Amino acid sequence: MNRSVRILLSSAIALVGIGDAAFAAPARGGVIDVATIGEPPTLDPVSSTADLVGIISQHVFETLYTFDKAWAPTPLLAASLPEISADGTVYRIPLRTGVKFHDGSTMTSKDVVASLQRWMKIGSRGKQVATNVVSVEADGDAAVKITLKVAYAPLTAFLAFNNSAAIVVPAANNEDTLTKIVGTGPYMLKERKPDQYIQLVRFDGYASRPGEPDGYGGARKQWLDEIRFVPVPDANTRVEGAVAGQFAYVDSLPIESFDRVKAGKDKPVMLKPFGWPMFVMNTKQGLFTDLALRKAVQAALAPEDMMTAAFGSKEFFSVDGAMYPKEYVWSTNAGTEAYKAQGATETAAAMVKRAGYDASKPIRILTSRQYEFHYKMALVAQEYLKAAGFAVQLDVVEWATLVQRRADPALWDIYITHSPFLPEPALIGFMSDAAPGWWTSPAKTAAIAALNTAIDPKKRIEAWAEVQKVIYAEAPAYKVGNFNALAAKAPKLEGVSPAPWPYFWNAWLEK
Amino acid sequence: MARVILRRLVEMVAVMALVVTIVFVIVRVAPGDPAAMMLGPDATPQDVADLRTRLGLDSSLVAQYGRYVGGLLTGDLGQSIFLARPVGQALWERAEPTFFLTLFSILVACGIALPVGILSAYRRGSLFDQVTTTTAVFVASVPSFWLGLVLMQVFAVKLGWFDPSGYGGPGASLGERLHHLILPAVALGIVSSALIARFTRASMLDVLGDDYVRTARAKGMGEARVVLKHALKNALIPILTVIGLTAALLISGAIVTETVYGLPGVGSLVVSAVLRRDYPVIQGTLLIVAGLYVLINFVIDMLYLAVDPRVRY
Repeated sequence: MNRSVRILLSSAIALVGIGDAAFAAPARGGVIDVATIGEPPTLDPVSSTADLVGIISQHVFETLYTFDKAWAPTPLLAASLPEISADGTVYRIPLRTGVKFHDGSTMTSKDVVASLQRWMKIGSRGKQVATNVVSVEADGDAAVKITLKVAYAPLTAFLAFNNSAAIVVPAANNEDTLTKIVGTGPYMLKERKPDQYIQLVRFDGYASRPGEPDGYGGARKQWLDEIRFVPVPDANTRVEGAVAGQFAYVDSLPIESFDRVKAGKDKPVMLKPFGWPMFVMNTKQGLFTDLALRKAVQAALAPEDMMTAAFGSKEFFSVDGAMYPKEYVWSTNAGTEAYKAQGATETAAAMVKRAGYDASKPIRILTSRQYEFHYKMALVAQEYLKAAGFAVQLDVVEWATLVQRRADPALWDIYITHSPFLPEPALIGFMSDAAPGWWTSPAKTAAIAALNTAIDPKKRIEAWAEVQKVIYAEAPAYKVGNFNALAAKAPKLEGVSPAPWPYFWNAWLEK
Repeated sequence: MARVILRRLVEMVAVMALVVTIVFVIVRVAPGDPAAMMLGPDATPQDVADLRTRLGLDSSLVAQYGRYVGGLLTGDLGQSIFLARPVGQALWERAEPTFFLTLFSILVACGIALPVGILSAYRRGSLFDQVTTTTAVFVASVPSFWLGLVLMQVFAVKLGWFDPSGYGGPGASLGERLHHLILPAVALGIVSSALIARFTRASMLDVLGDDYVRTARAKGMGEARVVLKHALKNALIPILTVIGLTAALLISGAIVTETVYGLPGVGSLVVSAVLRRDYPVIQGTLLIVAGLYVLINFVIDMLYLAVDPRVRY
């Protein structure tokens, strides 16, 4: 054998080896520990909009629809996308048959109807939908029919979302306060020891959808035997856990720990972009009932400096006024001319003067150090607002106090929050008339009505651009920018994609 | 003796009644709302109001207090809003890590503090005394959570001898669970040892100059016997007091250390209950902790009587 042939052969063997490693077949078995930011307030995803509840419970409970890789609704417990009447008011949802609950019973339309009614009674998002629902009824054993007062295009997305989620539970368990954690998901609850672990084990009777995984949709493979969610509320401890390789996955790490995590045993997982911080303005009472002052705030704020203070390196954020980043179909720059990366202090100062602002009434910014980046942004915003001629009072409280105070319009002018990018604009919290901020206006009502009643997806995207224009014109809230989320995963954990609500069906451990 | 015990028991009941009322009022007056915390960031004020009604939080404070006290009289501490179980059960589940953490911390603290305190007093003014006294001031100033993070960094992350956090997964044996307590117990024990060492030194200094010690030495008794048997026994009362109070403090006060190490103990239960405004859990935990304080004080008083017959109440 001459030298060239030997080199060729050994290269071929090496390539085969690499191929094996890179495309190793998923292996069944194994247990993973997933470190989360704390103990969830409940395991019932109907009764909470907290992301943590959704992250854990989505393994146990399922909804009629979910979202695919492109964030479009895709069937989960439903057999197909809904059959919608021409006027958009009747949704017929065919159901999959042979789907088992964890208690061994089989899902029927009776369970689905009871579950949807429960969702509309106690779920925040369900109640939002319920105002427009005439009836929910079974259409035989394997379909349900939802009749609406007027067309409501976001309905499928609402049925797909995983917090305040329209989960399906057995009709017999359909109490307001869920006492039996019985769903149809790929994993079922074995044991919950609060502040220690939530142990989920493979549900052997699980009926996966056929085909391949597709985002949260498609087939759900149950490679892992067990998934244990371990609450680790202290962020530094989560970082140390990632560095030491204690967990297979560590959620929600401080962005500044990136280099430290990179040098550790688990490896960083960056979701880029993850979400957006926002300054919600109180349009119901106080200073910001005056549109001119809201516009002055919009001009005064300098998002680039605020994001730099909050997230440090540009590797972890981007300055972008569009309500959705380019990765989403909803992304548009309509109306974003008012968003100035460096702020426009002089323009803002003139606007403040023109509006006849009374400096004895400071802007009360309600914030918390629960999320340190909120506080850092508040400090920078305070200086820019002062430069524009506003008096500013920072009310820094702990999170539970903030959540209570923001419900009282007498107590604040701006509160700071953030959100992941949600797959459907109608899910965005401050868009609801009833959400703190209480933004209502004829222009908003008209733009939202167009968005909600347009059935053609392309028309909806155009309608959303109009909504974004109204948001910038009326400034009920100020989007600061886009930021990334950092997590960490063990090198041998495969099949996990960065996601705002990480999921571990389809994940496996490399042997 | 019986009259003393009876009187102390009556006083204990009165203290506990006061604690129940004060805790109930403070918890309700503090800002924050369990319903808002349960529902999450996207709930509307109306959703919060609806859940408050379902949880019975919209009734008057007097009515809620009446229900709470009524429950207490039947031994019911209430139902946790977030943990889907009775408060008594939640506390019982947290007892093991907190009990062993307290025990190990006290053992570590005493293991360091008693020899150091005794030797410092015995060699008063020596280099050893000066070094340990200065070190004790420094150690007492170190926050236990900071020391905990340093120990975690060295022994868990760098050396890999321990898991950085947690208390073992499902099916973990008692030994595996207790292994998770070593680092936090050392952190708490070291910090607590400073106070005990200083009390031990001061108390020993008081008795080492007494006549009976001189007499014991004059009789030719060995130094070890003089110090450890005669002097230490008489110096024990303030030392026992500080050990008892440190134990009580650890039961309730290992809050930050338990949180840093992700231990599911009473401390972390209190932290999470306060952050979520889980009223029944806050009330139940504070009631039990206050009860433990009262009980430990009672036991210490009884120990005084046993250790020193001259003590009268």
